[in-house]
Amino acid sequence: MNMNQVFLGTLTGLIILVFAFFWQTTLSGVTRKIVARFHKRYGPKFYQEFRDIFKLLTKTGISHGWVYNFGVMMALGGIMGTAMFMPVMQFAAFPGLDNIFIYVYLFAVGMLGMAMSAVGSGNPLAGIGVMRALTQMVGYEVPFMVVVLAMVYGHGTASVSELAAVQQTAGLATWNIVKMPIGTLVGFICLLGMLGKKPFETFIAPAEIASGPMVEYGGKQLGMLMLLHEFSIFIEVSLFVNLFLGGAVTVVGYAIKYVGVFVLASLISQALGRFKIDQVIKYFYRWPIALALVQALIVIFLGWGV
Amino acid sequence: MNFQLSVSLVIAGLFAASVLAWLLTKLNKALGAWVTVVASAAALTMMALLHGEIGSTVNLFFLQFTLTEYGWFFSVIMLAVFACVSFFNIYWMPKLIHPAAYNMLYLLALTGTLGAFSARDFITLFIFWELIVWASMFIIPFGKSRKASVTYYAFSAFGSLSMLYGILFLYHKFGSFEISSVLQQAAGDPTAAIVAFVTIGIAGLIKLGVFPFHIWLPQAHGNAPEPFSPILSGGLVKAGGFAAFLIVAVMPSYKAFSTNIEFLGRQLTMPLPNYALAILGAVSIVVGTLMAISQNDFKKLIAYSSVANAGYIIIGLAMAGGLSTGGALMHIFAHAIASAAAFLAAAAVVHRTGTTKMNELGGLIHRMPLTYLVYLIAIISMAGIPPMAGFISKWMLFQSMMGRGMAFIAAAAFFGSIGSFLYVFRPLSAVFLGQLSTKHRYVKEAPPLMMFPMILLSLASVVFGVFPNWVLRIISQVQTSVGLEGLTLEGTKIIASNGAIDPTLIVIIFGLGFLIAMIIFLRFPKSRKVPLMDQYTASEFIWTPELLHYATDFYAPFERLYQKAPRTETLYRTIVHKVSELGAFASYAFYSFKPGTVLLWVAIVVVAMLGGSVL
Repeated sequence: MNMNQVFLGTLTGLIILVFAFFWQTTLSGVTRKIVARFHKRYGPKFYQEFRDIFKLLTKTGISHGWVYNFGVMMALGGIMGTAMFMPVMQFAAFPGLDNIFIYVYLFAVGMLGMAMSAVGSGNPLAGIGVMRALTQMVGYEVPFMVVVLAMVYGHGTASVSELAAVQQTAGLATWNIVKMPIGTLVGFICLLGMLGKKPFETFIAPAEIASGPMVEYGGKQLGMLMLLHEFSIFIEVSLFVNLFLGGAVTVVGYAIKYVGVFVLASLISQALGRFKIDQVIKYFYRWPIALALVQALIVIFLGWGV
Repeated sequence: MNFQLSVSLVIAGLFAASVLAWLLTKLNKALGAWVTVVASAAALTMMALLHGEIGSTVNLFFLQFTLTEYGWFFSVIMLAVFACVSFFNIYWMPKLIHPAAYNMLYLLALTGTLGAFSARDFITLFIFWELIVWASMFIIPFGKSRKASVTYYAFSAFGSLSMLYGILFLYHKFGSFEISSVLQQAAGDPTAAIVAFVTIGIAGLIKLGVFPFHIWLPQAHGNAPEPFSPILSGGLVKAGGFAAFLIVAVMPSYKAFSTNIEFLGRQLTMPLPNYALAILGAVSIVVGTLMAISQNDFKKLIAYSSVANAGYIIIGLAMAGGLSTGGALMHIFAHAIASAAAFLAAAAVVHRTGTTKMNELGGLIHRMPLTYLVYLIAIISMAGIPPMAGFISKWMLFQSMMGRGMAFIAAAAFFGSIGSFLYVFRPLSAVFLGQLSTKHRYVKEAPPLMMFPMILLSLASVVFGVFPNWVLRIISQVQTSVGLEGLTLEGTKIIASNGAIDPTLIVIIFGLGFLIAMIIFLRFPKSRKVPLMDQYTASEFIWTPELLHYATDFYAPFERLYQKAPRTETLYRTIVHKVSELGAFASYAFYSFKPGTVLLWVAIVVVAMLGGSVL
């Protein structure tokens, strides 16, 4: 890979990053509005999320030492790096090199940074929140990766842009939601876990552990974590769209798929209560993992969905 | 005199150095410890220079050595770990009961590994293998427990005897002790192949600490003197990887065992014995991960993580493909330096605070920031997160598992991989982050000579994570030298048949992300620094830092789910119980002073003799 490609790829990545910020932050605001209507409330303006972020960034907050600050930077850096790799429609910063493991593990850099910073604040509630977040991760990540294994085995590539391209060859019939319906169901449940939507909201649990990892934050650190939150939603939803819904070719298609998935997840969240953390683990290690393995066996032994 | 550098010279030199270390320690403790530093560093330099000598055979009395590509690779990793850890010996001299013996045994263990890795024949291999076992067996009780040493020796003896049986069986069959030729011949003979696979395999699995032989590992690692734990985990355990490499790669297991077995209409991707090995690896990953999550002792936690990582190594080796073996060898390298660094960080903490119990520590980042960074880098590598070397090896292993569609084994590996986030984060949170305990308020950073090797190991983790192809090229040579497929490397890219990554690019992009985050951070108003005890506590008034530190039973809700699961220790305890019952019966029956029993035996003997003469 020569310097030119690296430069062009990085530039594309930065454009995707800027797009992700405006797109997801707007969408979060819109979703707040939609959810409010379901509650029979009026709801905030659709640009409320922007207001919140910029207000927090310009406020003077507190700091609990260098790791508290460094962790936030590492977290946002890791998540933004991951977002730059994400293919959006046909635009991908580094097609072929956007391996699925980058999204799992580079994303983990961000999560580790945030966990480090949160526990570094010295508040035990943050420690409990991080413990729950990590435990939940063991729950949703394993079934998700088993489905990904089936997909990579079936399509013979682990690059997300290539996996999306494979599904665009013959319209709806080649989408993984049609070819691997069980896997898609598992993927969606895991997506709820990743997004921290109810019933998998245990690690935030505002009424119980005072927002968990976020308990001590305020000012620009909290603003940066809100930014991080928008980027991580972008990564998680985009991953689902690219892996199961065949990516997107047109802007309209992309918008419909992305908004559909995110709004659906947010609405499901409104209808459910919160699991306890051991219930989360028990849940994921009962149905989703079993279905994921069934899907993997179907792909491997029967060759369906290839 | 013709002075030529050779393996036998290095081994003889190390042997001499071990005696010298013993003598000098008797005179001056620090001097003796410095001998271990100089000797292991010199041996490392010489082995690095010996790369050109690969293939040549040298003698030392009746011992024959041939330097092979894989032997060289393992030796250099081992020597690097020994050389880095030896700096800690200087600080541990006053803490040990027999410092002279410790220094001697330290170098003898090193001699043992070097000899075993460059042995030409099985007898040499066995002698040096035993040297490792004996040297480390005597070092372990210098630490906290003598019983740990007994467990270690019981397992090692079983492994050694199993290997000895295999060696003699192969000698009986092929009339030679030469490792490479015998293993090549064994591949053509199904019986010999399976005997070699099982016997040498058991020796390797025991050393690696793979399930069901894993229980010695936390006992030995957790109780050994602090500077020797990184040697066990980063170094000696990897000798098991060497033995496993012998039976799957040097003896081409794909040639030796049939892969032509159909299962539900699909041909197996690897021979059945390799499958058995991979399944043991998968079980080790799950068991090691679950046990590591529930530990409260810093060192035992890392020891159980070594069990889990041994699982990855064994799975990669068992697959015996180009990418998978490369991944396993890379994992041996990455895990050796990362776990050595993690154990050294633990040793530094013990040196300053005197405890390994995580719930007694906390907030040490405010006192030992560099040790914290070393531990952070080590765990990032152990958890397989970029930009560290551990990410590369895990990626290679996962990619090859996905390529073969090994769903169940991969599920175990994914579980271990995500589970590792849990257990590596616990010490980070409980020891280094959180509230600083009042009794550790005046703890100092580790001394500079301790920092030096720790920083060196951390740099290695980072550098070989950013530019892994420097190591992967060597690994590729190792693979082609035993007839396996090499790796496809292109510039900074690693290419698999079903995907590619560019580690350097990932680091560039991550760096860019971090830069943007830093600019955002610096651009906006400066925060007000508040003390650590200034917390949101929901209107409670708490003045003791210990009460605000979340460290005890960290993963309690998760642990509760598998608390009642059967333990391997119970199985071994049952075996021990049964054996001692048998012994009790034997001593009751044969070594009794009861007149009735004696009379019975006399009568039986007399009857037997009479009966014999009559018939």
